[in-house]
Amino acid sequence: MTPSKLVFKNLVRRRGRFIFTLLGIMIGMGSFVTFMALGGSLKSQIERESAALGANLVVTPKGSCAYEQVSILTGEQLPTTITGDEVASISSIEGMTAIPYLAERSAIDNRPVSVMGVLPEETIKFKNWKLDQGGYFPADDSEGAVLGSILAEQFGLLPGAEIRIRGSQIKVLGVLEETGGKDDLTVFLSLPQAQRLYDQEGLVSYVAVRVDRLDEVELYANKIKEKVSLGVVSDKQMRSSVLSIVGTVNITLQLIAAVAILAAAFGIVNTMMTATYERKREIGILQAMGATRTGVFRLFLLESGVYGLIGGIGGAALGGVAAVFATPYISQNAATSFVKGAQVSIDPLMLLGAILFSTLVAMIAGLYPAIKASKLSPVEAISYE
Amino acid sequence: MSDSVITVNNLVKEYGSGAAMVKALRGVDLEIARGSFTCIVGPSGHGKSTLMHMLGGLDHPTSGSVTIDGQEIFQLGNKDLARLRAQKIGFVFQFFNLLQSLTATENIETALMLAGVPEEQQKKRAKELLQIVGLEEKANAKPRQLSGGQQQRVAIARALANDPPILLMDEPTGNLDSEAEAEVMSVLEALNRQGKTIIFVTHSNEIAARAEHLILVRDGQVDFTPSLKIAS
Repeated sequence: MTPSKLVFKNLVRRRGRFIFTLLGIMIGMGSFVTFMALGGSLKSQIERESAALGANLVVTPKGSCAYEQVSILTGEQLPTTITGDEVASISSIEGMTAIPYLAERSAIDNRPVSVMGVLPEETIKFKNWKLDQGGYFPADDSEGAVLGSILAEQFGLLPGAEIRIRGSQIKVLGVLEETGGKDDLTVFLSLPQAQRLYDQEGLVSYVAVRVDRLDEVELYANKIKEKVSLGVVSDKQMRSSVLSIVGTVNITLQLIAAVAILAAAFGIVNTMMTATYERKREIGILQAMGATRTGVFRLFLLESGVYGLIGGIGGAALGGVAAVFATPYISQNAATSFVKGAQVSIDPLMLLGAILFSTLVAMIAGLYPAIKASKLSPVEAISYE
Repeated sequence: MSDSVITVNNLVKEYGSGAAMVKALRGVDLEIARGSFTCIVGPSGHGKSTLMHMLGGLDHPTSGSVTIDGQEIFQLGNKDLARLRAQKIGFVFQFFNLLQSLTATENIETALMLAGVPEEQQKKRAKELLQIVGLEEKANAKPRQLSGGQQQRVAIARALANDPPILLMDEPTGNLDSEAEAEVMSVLEALNRQGKTIIFVTHSNEIAARAEHLILVRDGQVDFTPSLKIAS
């Protein structure tokens, strides 16, 4: 016999109560782990997209809010209010490159996809794209479409195939190499063709700007503001404002999970208190056999700790599985939710931390019952009928 | 006296205070000889069990002292007192001696664990102890699968786990039939012959008649009348 074996025998003697208490902590820890994993995935996705944008500054319609900044990173449709004249005057500033985008939506096989109007020659240089199959737009106003790699694979589209956008048949010119960002899930058209198809002649959604000298980002932001009456954000500002929204959502979710864990902790207190009363006589016998108060305290604390440990392991497994299934639906937008490549980032350290946290919470919950048990006088315990 | 294993001096135990105060023990003095078989008898509620709990250091007196093997036990801290119980004293109570979720062997192993016997030696020792009380075939039975007499024999085996010199019995045969009582008594008498000091609280005249020494506890005081026959 060892203390841990004794604890285990005591744990499983009331199987139903053991399982229900365990379920409580598993559900609490499971939701906590799910939300942590989702938050981590959202955050890393935003950082990835922001890097893929490859811009130091983004020019947006005036008064655009954080929601639109999220849309730039996720490829949602945006209001198109920036005119060709404004793009021209931004482009005329020396020492930086300005790339206009027209962000629209369409559907292939009734599934929503992002459509992006771009200036072919400048964008391929700006984004450093490589072609995987087929060719690229031969000229800046060419007709035809270039597809992101995952989108092409998902719909089985090869160069030469045709897709239908706003009632027009458009020939697929080529497929890009995988970039790891939302470009993989986008249909690219030349800007003039996109503007024609969507009746947005001369208009764009936003302009990505890369400056030649990074230390002068602020200066160029001011130059742009002098020339045109539009909003200018740096990629850092955009990322931090988007991350702060994500952060708020994460904290809210984690608070909900914390409430679930707290409720589970009281479940443990309840179970252990009941066990203390039930085993009052046994505690007396243990003391008569030579168990110290500390020994009794340790046995009970260990018992509640085991609830936390097993519950934490179960919760981490449950939460990990839930996160894998939920991430595609939550962390990506509607256009990409069905596409493979949704990445859930589960940090093994986070799982380990969750298990330790769960054990700690359970042991704290077990403190009061364990103290109660250890304070029982042997005589009182034995005389209890 | 060098051959007394337990010496009790002016032991007083009071419960409550003021008008509601109950004097369970009113100054008890006694000595228990090493290797003796002593019965504590007396009417219910007159302090037998209280005295017995004090002898085993399970309860603290209001005043007075209990000395076991030269050690005044109430001067020990909780931890040392617990160690003394593990090493020197084996307890058997009237009811519910065993941990219900454990088998006979496991109950004995738990006592060995508390005395610091390494796990790999526990099984062998538990087997030997069950042989002493004649229950080796019930090694893996849970308490509820055992008869009352068998349960008490397992309890005795467990009390013997650490080979304590003293066995304290609080009416161990109190709820047994005469056949089971005989089983238990023959085990105890054999142990006594091997040198164990046995202190036995009982209501039974037959058992008291078999004791070497008789201590009558009445109104919280001790009355040494070895020839006394109890009218209960």
